[in-house]
Amino acid sequence: MEPVIRVTNLAQKIGHKLLFQGISFEVQPGECFGIFGTRGAGKTSLVHILAGIDRFKSGQVAILGFNIKKTEKFKRSLGLVTQESSLFRDMTVVENLDFIAALKKASRAAVREMIESFQLQEFLTKPVTSLDIGVLQRVSLACALLNQPKLLILDEIIKDIDLFSRNLILQELEQFLAAGGTCVSTFSNFVFSQSFSKVAWLEGGEMTIYDPEGAQAEWNRQVKYYAEQSGRYDD
Amino acid sequence: MMIRQCWVIMQRELFYMWRDKSLRNILLVGPLLGLLLMAGVYSSQRIGNISTAIVDLDKSSASRQVTTDLKNSQNLQVVAYFDTFSQLEESIKRGEVIVGVVIPENYGKDIALQRQTKVAVLIDGMNIIYATNASSAVLTVTRTLGAQVGIRTLIAKGIQPNQAQEAYQSVAFPEEAWFNPTANYAYFLVLAFALNVWQQCCTLASCMTIIGENGRRSWYQIRTSGISLFKLFFCKSFVHIGILLLTVLPVYFLAFVVFKLPLACGWSSFLLFTLIFILALHGLGTMMSSLSPNAVNASRYGMIIALPSFLLSGFTWPLQAMPQWLQHVVWILPQTWFFQGVSFLTFKNPGWGFVSHYFLALSLMAVLFYSVAALRLMVSDFPHKG
Repeated sequence: MEPVIRVTNLAQKIGHKLLFQGISFEVQPGECFGIFGTRGAGKTSLVHILAGIDRFKSGQVAILGFNIKKTEKFKRSLGLVTQESSLFRDMTVVENLDFIAALKKASRAAVREMIESFQLQEFLTKPVTSLDIGVLQRVSLACALLNQPKLLILDEIIKDIDLFSRNLILQELEQFLAAGGTCVSTFSNFVFSQSFSKVAWLEGGEMTIYDPEGAQAEWNRQVKYYAEQSGRYDD
Repeated sequence: MMIRQCWVIMQRELFYMWRDKSLRNILLVGPLLGLLLMAGVYSSQRIGNISTAIVDLDKSSASRQVTTDLKNSQNLQVVAYFDTFSQLEESIKRGEVIVGVVIPENYGKDIALQRQTKVAVLIDGMNIIYATNASSAVLTVTRTLGAQVGIRTLIAKGIQPNQAQEAYQSVAFPEEAWFNPTANYAYFLVLAFALNVWQQCCTLASCMTIIGENGRRSWYQIRTSGISLFKLFFCKSFVHIGILLLTVLPVYFLAFVVFKLPLACGWSSFLLFTLIFILALHGLGTMMSSLSPNAVNASRYGMIIALPSFLLSGFTWPLQAMPQWLQHVVWILPQTWFFQGVSFLTFKNPGWGFVSHYFLALSLMAVLFYSVAALRLMVSDFPHKG
């Protein structure tokens, strides 16, 4: 089966800093692929490359079989939630849903469905700038799902949000995966590592792929190692 | 679906411009306020009642005749009589009088004896416009006065009065000012100044076309939606151009219908010319927007272009009086073509054969500016610049 994402020897440079030194990985259909890294490791940059927002220095990136340097057709089947809200700040919730639906050529029925799924009825006429972060992320995910994407790219979607919104989002994501969707999500809190099929660890411009258990073991090893190094390990 | 997409983008742009209070006020109020202010400033239409002081050191009947002629002149208003030159000098320094006339001692005697005499006329040159008008007003009086004295001198020398008069009127130079016969300042400046305010607002608004979109995080939504950038910016620009045209219509209505400023070429040609200028100006703003790293810089670039463009257009200071190199450079600005065109179209209507190259130049500029903006967008990395 053709992978949903195939990245080969991806290199990216921002200013004088070499962010990725030829990373390669694949994401198979139905997988939930986690990208872990500390701040500045390049998670957001990688996500922006996969979403076709930023160009890259060299290498090849194929999404749903399309070479993203040559075509934008893959965007029809793509949904993105950015780390910081990328909704239209001058609009209300319903205006954002309607406008993004029009941009993605999604139907009004899809808008109604998302309003219901994410329980947004009471927020529709509110400006997005007035929303709590949890509701904001619900609206963002609703917008990302409007075009019924095959690939969902999420950048720290459930970080620091209220539990109600978090459960609602996780429930919708489970449904999305159950329906055959593929998901790529960044995370910086290792608590979430078990939610993924694979975990890609970004560090020093390189990527190592683990299964969730392997990633957890590596995390534990590093935590112990650095604690010992600093003399703060009490056991 | 494509029509719905375009409609939604245009609708959103319209709402965006309306909800942005500062942008709305700038576009709606700026040009109208400019026109009303300029109409108020130039409401007298010409400079009259130029304050004049006389120092009569002779106090003869001949010198009193000079005083009477000055008092009766159309644009001079005698407001003071001084005994000494230094009093007059002080008054001019304080700005109380603009014109000072000093009639020397023995003026009457010298005239009677047919000796040459000199009446000093002093004009405050600090304000060039005031000085030019004052000079012209004084010249009218002194020319007549000089002729009268000359005729009297000839008569005194035994020449017949009718022959003396003919000698002074043998060559006539009747002045006839065309297109603005009364030298009306309101005709000349009110519309142009209001359009200058308008074009500045338009330039600043146009400078946000691209950076106003790709300088925000919501640009990610647009980039991942897969919508064609050509379609997006075409729809946005369509709304902008419509708005810019709508904002100038009340200005034109007030100028041509209410204030009855001249419009020799007729409404349709003038509106078409305005539309083409808007295209060129919006293209220029869009190009600046595409070249700017952020919205603040885009505004700065816009200001750099918009502010001096009116002065450089040759509307107030003739192009022919500028240095040779500058005379060529200023034509790269659409504003120069526009303000020159406005002069010709409103006052003269010299015909399609003449103005067609103004239309053509502005159209070519629009194509060039939009093309550069499109190229810049194509080669850009679309980074988030916030």
